[in-house]
Amino acid sequence: MTAIDARHIELTYSDGTQAVEDVTIDIPEGEFFGFLGPNGAGKTTTIKTLVTLLQPTGGDITVNGYDVEAQPQAVRESIGYMAQETSIDEELTARENVQFACEAYGVPKAERTERIDELLELVDLAGVADKVAKEFSGGMKKRLDVATALVHSPPLVFLDEPTTGLDPKARIRLWEYFRNINEQGTTVFLTTQYLEEADELCDRLSVIQDGTIVATDSPDALKSQVGGDVLEIALVDPTDETTTRARRVARDAGLFEEGTVETTDQGISVASERARQAGPDLLVALRDADITVTGFDVRSPTLDDVFLAITGHPAGEQADDEATERSAELEGEVQ
Amino acid sequence: MSTISGSDSSAGAQSSGNGFVVDVWINLKRWIVKTTRNPFVVVSSLVQPIIFLVLFTEVFGGVVGGALSEALGPGVTYVTYLTPAIIIQSALVAAAGSGIGLVDDMESGMFEKVLVSPINRVAMFLGKALSEVVRIVVQTLIILALGYVLVWLDTGGNVGTYIETGIVGAIGIIGVAIVFAIWFTAFSNIVALATRDQESTIIGANLLQFPLLFVSSAFIPIRNLPEWVQVVATYNPITYGVDAVRALMLGQDVLSVIEITTFSGIWNTLVPALTVLIALDFLLGGIAVYYLNRASSSGVR
Repeated sequence: MTAIDARHIELTYSDGTQAVEDVTIDIPEGEFFGFLGPNGAGKTTTIKTLVTLLQPTGGDITVNGYDVEAQPQAVRESIGYMAQETSIDEELTARENVQFACEAYGVPKAERTERIDELLELVDLAGVADKVAKEFSGGMKKRLDVATALVHSPPLVFLDEPTTGLDPKARIRLWEYFRNINEQGTTVFLTTQYLEEADELCDRLSVIQDGTIVATDSPDALKSQVGGDVLEIALVDPTDETTTRARRVARDAGLFEEGTVETTDQGISVASERARQAGPDLLVALRDADITVTGFDVRSPTLDDVFLAITGHPAGEQADDEATERSAELEGEVQ
Repeated sequence: MSTISGSDSSAGAQSSGNGFVVDVWINLKRWIVKTTRNPFVVVSSLVQPIIFLVLFTEVFGGVVGGALSEALGPGVTYVTYLTPAIIIQSALVAAAGSGIGLVDDMESGMFEKVLVSPINRVAMFLGKALSEVVRIVVQTLIILALGYVLVWLDTGGNVGTYIETGIVGAIGIIGVAIVFAIWFTAFSNIVALATRDQESTIIGANLLQFPLLFVSSAFIPIRNLPEWVQVVATYNPITYGVDAVRALMLGQDVLSVIEITTFSGIWNTLVPALTVLIALDFLLGGIAVYYLNRASSSGVR
């Protein structure tokens, strides 16, 4: 069965901002799906339309077999949702927070105590179950938020940038939970701006830019689109003038049959099937052109390279601030 | 297979989880727990009324005494005169806190979290409003008890009749406090929803509170106030709240800003006062409901 079947979602805010232009997503049950894009690309707006918080201005969306516009109540009952901002009641204890969620989702009374203990155990908060959440660290609050999104064992969970702002240790810990949940059969819809997160967790991912999906595939397939390995060259003086010259050398040397040359912070990078073989020759060519190289490295492509190749700018670069703010706004009146 | 799952899904759409009453209870419970954990609430519903009641009676009691017997006849002590004002003041504080709680929920993400859950949205707001009612009932009872203690101390244990209208009157006093609180609760929620900012909500609700109390019949009989204050007091909802409680407390028609004689005794105060308050409740309540609807219906429906 299909967990999410969304066709041509379109969402224009009442002020005319078109946050989502054309998004089509088809996610089979059990998949770990990633939704990748820079700030303001439309990730949060898309997720909010999928969880019934925003009404799409165009398109058809079915979640767990229910139409989000005609059967919002059924959709709400069958999904777990974790918002980008940690959403817990800080005046309640960890246990009370999970209990409130249990009650909200109608977890039967007889199962509640056991379920609460089990979830607090899962997110490693059993030891502080009766402490008020105000005293928790950012990572602990986030984990508590995870627990509250899972009370009713939903077949589908939405995680909106769940690890943004967390330290690497806390992030890796959350990854384990997410992987666990997914292995137990839960479909996961994750948005992230971290490429390594998508690479690490997702079976398949879509890259969104300016409200439109620009690529959908498995992380490996996307990486292979880059075409070969990546050769990074650091220059002693990476000014515009030198990097432009270096790029010309790399292009005109005839060393790479096919490939792309980009400017990086340290110098330039070349992505090509022949990056490994032709690397030393390029260094010679650069020396002949009086360009001093301070370092070089050949590596397999990462999703960063994919991102750069597809969108034309590195991940994490702000695309459209205004749109993020708009989509983060709760009210989000739609036309 | 597809037909079976099709009929299954339509059956699933019918079930709405908890049912309305349970949804109200879940939200009510959460807010009551939050209220008891909030030191600001404990101070404003317990400590503040004690301070006001004790200080005002000690400081103004002697001065106002004469004016009181002139206005309401002998035997009315300042404590029994002031207790209704403190009850209304505390209801005002509780109502002002309502919007602050709402903004808090929006900032913490709990508002959205409830919206995305299957909880009925009307039940969500009703549960919260009922928690305010509970708070008002409890603090009204505490203030009534406190007033009794002060009279007891004043009279050396010979209280006589404390609430002229008896137990029914005491219940009536709680009822008036609730009816009174609704319009201000609505007002504070309107400010909260319009500004979505905690500080503005606190300022918006509290800025009004004190001046409104002083330009009303709360602390001193209206006829002893300057002319312009009397005019303002006529249009001040606090006058109607305080006078309604006071009528039940003292067992006489105390409303002097408008003269109604159609009914008898305390009904000459209660009927017009409650009419004014209920009208205000509907007016501001309606605006608040409109704002709440707008804030929560960005989703479907």
